[in-house]
Amino acid sequence: MSDLLLARWRRYEWQLLRDPPRAPLTHMALDDALLTAGGGGERPPTLRIWEWAAAAVVIGRFQSVRNEVDLQGAERHQIEIVRRITGGGAMFIEPGNTITYSIYAPAELVSGMSAIESYAFFDTWVLDALATLGVRAWYQPINDITSASGKIGGAAQMRRAGAVLHHVTMSYDIDAAKMLEVLRIGRDKGTTSAARRVDPLRSQTGLPREAIIDQMIATFRERHGLHDSQLSTTEVAATTHLVTSKFATNEWLQALP
Amino acid sequence: MMIKKLHGILTRGLKQARKQQDMMHGEYKVPGGKLVVVDCMIENQRLTNVSLSGDFFLAPDEALEWIVAALEGQPADSGETILAERVRAATASAELLGITAEGVAIAVRRAIAGGAA
Repeated sequence: MSDLLLARWRRYEWQLLRDPPRAPLTHMALDDALLTAGGGGERPPTLRIWEWAAAAVVIGRFQSVRNEVDLQGAERHQIEIVRRITGGGAMFIEPGNTITYSIYAPAELVSGMSAIESYAFFDTWVLDALATLGVRAWYQPINDITSASGKIGGAAQMRRAGAVLHHVTMSYDIDAAKMLEVLRIGRDKGTTSAARRVDPLRSQTGLPREAIIDQMIATFRERHGLHDSQLSTTEVAATTHLVTSKFATNEWLQALP
Repeated sequence: MMIKKLHGILTRGLKQARKQQDMMHGEYKVPGGKLVVVDCMIENQRLTNVSLSGDFFLAPDEALEWIVAALEGQPADSGETILAERVRAATASAELLGITAEGVAIAVRRAIAGGAA
């Protein structure tokens, strides 16, 4: 990544949102609301670190619920199914098993880049943070963060009204057996891993999840600058409204049954 | 009354079962890209009830419906080239990432060739 491109980050006063744990539907709605706020200029460019209040399967905008989720498995483990606004694949979330973050930025931050270039650009600081912790990770186009011992995470993007949302989920320590009971990934393809846990970040750093997040924030702060921030009352209201009017509706979740 | 109600339930059940039975399913992993899944039916030698899903990226969201509309009603013996051409025309103003017009066409042909899911 050229220094000239990386210097673009410094054009903005980046805000940090490190929120308390929130319900899966609230997270879906927050991304939608903050992307809109970013495009409207009400919110400066922001890094949001997610904390989950409950387990969930998060499916991509264009995925079919039936194709991705074992509904009986999800019900047995009391796991909620939610649909996000970005494309990409399904993920299995339990509080503490992943590290998830969103970046809301003006589209001009990545102007002139191809979509594939912009994916790698948005996560350069994360690769640096992981390197500081001794994890050699790199970008695998289109949207994967990977390492010698396998995939670490995946990103997804959406552009709307001059703003970009780029969000990423990385595996910290996932219960693979439970995940395979809930997701249909790889079941019929013979790719099912024998591993009981998918724990690239825990096993490769030996650190608690919070320590990794702290390092990520420190790296972002050092490279791009970062000011602490909170959700505004307008943003909270918009989010609450989006939960009931969009994300919790059957129309949205079952858009592709 | 009871019999009429029962008849209604049975007819609905039968219709639903037939619909599921006739639903065809095709998948294609775009090289270097994502999984493209097509479900559809054939009625009077034409594609109907087409749905498209997968872990690809598309913008705007409506582009998904544009693709489905371009496939709906097409002759079931349409070749890959024709189908891909229709999808390409329908998505001329859309952004596709991890999904291609050819990939969609292959998934459709696989659904038809494979028959009922």
